Amino acid sequence: MTTISLRDTDSATAATPGSAPVQPFRTAAGGLIDRRRPLEFTFDGARYGGVQGDTLASALLANGVRLVGRSFKYHRPRGILTAGSEEPNALVELRSGARREPNTRATTAELYEGLEALSQNRWPSLRYDALAVNALAAPIFAAGFYYKTFMWPAAFWEKLYEPLIRRAAGLGRAAHAPDPDTYDKAFAFCDVLVIGGGPAGLSAALAAGRAGARVILVDEDHRIGGRLVADRREVAGRSGADWVADSLAELDSMPDVRILGRTTLFGVYDHGAYGAVERVSDHLASPPAHAPRQRMWRITARRAVLAAGAIERPHVFGGNDRPGVMLAGAVRTYLNRYGVLPGRRVALFTSSDDGWRTVSDVVAAGAEVAAVIDTRASVAPGLRHGAEAAGARVILGGAVIGTKGHLALNAIEVVTADGRGETIACDCLAMANGWNPIVHLDSHLSRRPVWDAAIHAFVPDALPSGMAAAGAASGAFTLASCLETGGRAGAEAATACGFAGTSPEVPRTDPESVGHAPLWRVPGSKGKAFVDFQNDVAASDVELAHREGFRAVELLKRYTTLGMATDQGKTSNLAGLGIMAELTGQPIPSVGTTMFRPPFTPVAIGAFAGHHRGKDFRATRHVPSHAWCEEQGAVFVETGLWLRPAYFPRAGESDWLETVNREVNTVRAHVGVCDVTTLGKIDIQGRDALAFIERVCANPFGTLPVGKARYAVLLREDGFVLDDGTVARLGESHFVMTASTANAARVMQHLEFCRQWLWPELDLQMISVSEQWAQYAVAGPRARDTLRAVIDPGFDLSNEAFPFLACADVTVGGGIPARLLRISFSGELAYELAVPAAHGDAAWRAILQAGAGHGITAYGSEALSVMRIEKGHAAGAEINGQTTARDLGLGGMLARKKDYIGRLMKERPALTDPDRPILVGFRPVDPGQRLRAGAHFLAIGAAPSLEADEGSMTSVAFSPSLGHWIGLGLIRRGPERHGQRVRAYDPVRNGDIEVEICSPVFVDPNEEKLRV
Amino acid sequence: MSDVAMVGAEKLESIWKPRSAWAGYARAGRHGRTGGEAGITLTLRDEVGLATLIVADGKEAALDRALEASHGWSLPEAGRAALAGEEGLIWSGPGQWLAIAGTRRRLDGLADAVTGLASVTDQSDGRALVRVSGPCAREMLSKGVAIDLHPRAFRAGSAAVTSIAHIGAQLWQRDDAPTYDLAVARSFAGSFWSWLSHAAAEFGYGVEHGPGR
Repeated sequence: MTTISLRDTDSATAATPGSAPVQPFRTAAGGLIDRRRPLEFTFDGARYGGVQGDTLASALLANGVRLVGRSFKYHRPRGILTAGSEEPNALVELRSGARREPNTRATTAELYEGLEALSQNRWPSLRYDALAVNALAAPIFAAGFYYKTFMWPAAFWEKLYEPLIRRAAGLGRAAHAPDPDTYDKAFAFCDVLVIGGGPAGLSAALAAGRAGARVILVDEDHRIGGRLVADRREVAGRSGADWVADSLAELDSMPDVRILGRTTLFGVYDHGAYGAVERVSDHLASPPAHAPRQRMWRITARRAVLAAGAIERPHVFGGNDRPGVMLAGAVRTYLNRYGVLPGRRVALFTSSDDGWRTVSDVVAAGAEVAAVIDTRASVAPGLRHGAEAAGARVILGGAVIGTKGHLALNAIEVVTADGRGETIACDCLAMANGWNPIVHLDSHLSRRPVWDAAIHAFVPDALPSGMAAAGAASGAFTLASCLETGGRAGAEAATACGFAGTSPEVPRTDPESVGHAPLWRVPGSKGKAFVDFQNDVAASDVELAHREGFRAVELLKRYTTLGMATDQGKTSNLAGLGIMAELTGQPIPSVGTTMFRPPFTPVAIGAFAGHHRGKDFRATRHVPSHAWCEEQGAVFVETGLWLRPAYFPRAGESDWLETVNREVNTVRAHVGVCDVTTLGKIDIQGRDALAFIERVCANPFGTLPVGKARYAVLLREDGFVLDDGTVARLGESHFVMTASTANAARVMQHLEFCRQWLWPELDLQMISVSEQWAQYAVAGPRARDTLRAVIDPGFDLSNEAFPFLACADVTVGGGIPARLLRISFSGELAYELAVPAAHGDAAWRAILQAGAGHGITAYGSEALSVMRIEKGHAAGAEINGQTTARDLGLGGMLARKKDYIGRLMKERPALTDPDRPILVGFRPVDPGQRLRAGAHFLAIGAAPSLEADEGSMTSVAFSPSLGHWIGLGLIRRGPERHGQRVRAYDPVRNGDIEVEICSPVFVDPNEEKLRV
Repeated sequence: MSDVAMVGAEKLESIWKPRSAWAGYARAGRHGRTGGEAGITLTLRDEVGLATLIVADGKEAALDRALEASHGWSLPEAGRAALAGEEGLIWSGPGQWLAIAGTRRRLDGLADAVTGLASVTDQSDGRALVRVSGPCAREMLSKGVAIDLHPRAFRAGSAAVTSIAHIGAQLWQRDDAPTYDLAVARSFAGSFWSWLSHAAAEFGYGVEHGPGR
């Protein structure tokens, strides 16, 4: 038994205020960092130093900080496992205040001056975490713990258990304030999309770019190059990093090649669509003025080369989660790329030739190799000699079964091939258990990868259309094969797009061997052996799942939560499968694999929203009178996308009802003007325009003369009412149809369907003119007097010359073309004046000026609605998709001598049932009582039940004309029951009042005001 | 009574000024990123004449000849605009074109010239028009336009009906600079400007009024 004591490297090395931060674990030279640009940052409040080019993880390691977080469930101390986006442990809260960002991987967060980071999931501090007692109770926190323990009583789940669990087992905290940054979206198109900028991706991009194809290369790293900037390699006699720089320079010189660094391709979608997020300003403390924080790219590519690389696999052994235990590839990345020693005395635990590469890198960086433990009984002599020359102990056929150290590793427990136990002091253990090709992206379209027994890993099977895999992502692990397969895939993709692609000559590389024999679980481990670090799933949990019968891969995943954390099991899924395969005695491919879904790494919601947040969540449409309405302090209401003025409060008015009453009373007594531009306006012209209108409208139009308008009702094909409006005949074969605001688009769509699909033989031309014309209703006894001062002289507005339902072309403002219709929604003498929209603002002001002497008021959608209820006109609440023309009291106007859409279907027995609810009016028996829309009608004395339900109140208003509330509603056999009393039952708002059924027309039933 | 009305009409004449579709949203001047040349120039265009032209069944060839005779225009094929200077026709859909002219008056005789061959509907006030130019025009538009604007796919004379920021838009490219014209429904001008100014801000942009009002 050998025990070497080591200094506890986890002791804090934070600088004292004022002194220059030292980085005791930074190498003297080397690395792809800019040592001339020092940076300072804080972690848990302590100040540290780093350099430009660092990640937060590399800078923490440079300072000897190895404990960076607490685990999800057991609050175990955790460190840095990887050097990339697959990191399961080193999650931190980055930034502060409104920019606070939880669960950020320290391994991908670029260091910037003043960076602030906090560790997560610990209290009161990272080093002394109270909830670490969970680890003592680990046996009861095993897989299925929540389901087994918190089953009863059910009511406790939401109120007690879940909040408790969420507090104890959580990750970071989101910011509470709105995100101060902006996000952008962009669309990009290319012939060849290259996913990944390692040796394979760069070769592919070069081959496709040289052929003349439009190429986009995306790489998630801020330094493109993949393993070529992490390992010490040789390409064509130069260093790998130099070859990368030359390749990028060549690509940069090609006008149709775009390189997107700091960009994660997170999703693959149908028809060659890809989602990517570019971290435009994440590497800065805050985005520069006018620059977005992140940009969401929607890339459409004819071909794609998947060169996303591979992720190294950890070993599953006791204490494999202790800070200081790292993937071997990550150890080399920190050594070679960042000039950082992950430890001063490094041990290597490997099952692959590739892992041995770590030995010379450690030595070159000036650290010591404690031992090399290979699980295989024999390795190539070259590997062994190299390690022994470096002074390392070599243990073949052995394994690491345990680790020691309080908050960070200080020794490993090893068992040798002959079964002897040994403790070896070291402050870093590098694990190399082979690599998994990144098969996430190619499985986004429901394709499952296949097992490749030669490399002990899943590789892409049938790829999505247009996609080819290259390099490590395809299972080609050697550098030479990465360069070769990448170049070939790039050339083939370019050729498929019509370019003459040729595979580039493969440059010479330094020799390597990639033999490996993975070990899924180290037998005889001491302590918890973790499979999924982020969700704290241990090998024992997989064994438990097996014992309890959750053996199918999807059950294993859900029962243990293996692979369900934010890392989607990038470092853990295969180990879980491997262990289950061992336990069930099946080969791994028979156990299966779980699916990967977008996104590859978490994406901020803000990036998906882009510009569309707050008021820009969706578009807003403004009416032509909008500027005036704003000047007047109108209160607006959203109707679909439209922002309509609802009412126009005046000084001294105490509430909305007082304002609306004043507006209604002014219209009824004097005159008012309302912006009705929001109605849909459809221009219909052509030889068969009238025939078309006859077929789409349920009431007759054959007799409509030029210069007249008529109310129109449109049915759906199933016989229910689609919408109502007006049709005006401007010329022999020229009509304008209006549709309600809410249904404008729907009606246009319906008419287009009829024209294009039902009756293509009809010759007509149809176009929306909703935006061209501003349209204003001028209503009230003084409407004619008001319009006389607006319309150019010479037009006879008298009742005889321009009677009810007349329409005509007029001019305003000295020759501006306009349209005038005499139609009324309010029941008053009323006109609608349409002017070209650019003159809408002027026309509105002109009407108000002209009406000033007549006491004019502007009125909004509220007063409009009150007046239509007073007149018994059906609107959206009645034309609700469940009512027929007969239900709405419009049955009498339907045509009998023509065919039209909905004619036969409206005759179905259920739609003509005399017991159907029909539109009538309602007034409270006690005039002081308020009516509520939504109330259901019951016979007086009847108990509330579905069977007793006779219909419902659809619209209510306070009628200033009558001085009490009035309502419209649908009730069984309504028109036969005028004068009867029923209950309006509204249990939701404690309403239960008696109402009397009456005519729906409350004001001017004989239409005396309309036709004067 | 009529005398009173006449007096009123005279008083009213002063207020009959057209209002720009962009009024209240766009401000002339330099905005966004400061320093250096503006990456984007946005020219607001208000005095433009627009009309929708929809061909009657089977009359396309005759319409083409009639337009050639009356205005010297030809009907562009799908996805194209046939413009000479500031006027011509832009394909808008099957059998449908947008006629455009530097002034509204230029379109006055259009309906008469194509009687029986096509329907003409004035849309001069129905759209808000903006010209997008400057060295970053293509890059800026790619932030909202979901179609490929690369010169291999979309070039001078190309036209599309698409949507930008969920707002229906018609887009055509005038020259290889590239310069684009964009038209959106007038009521959406405020929301569209919000997107446009946000998208252009990082490049620095200038806003100017086109000829006309």
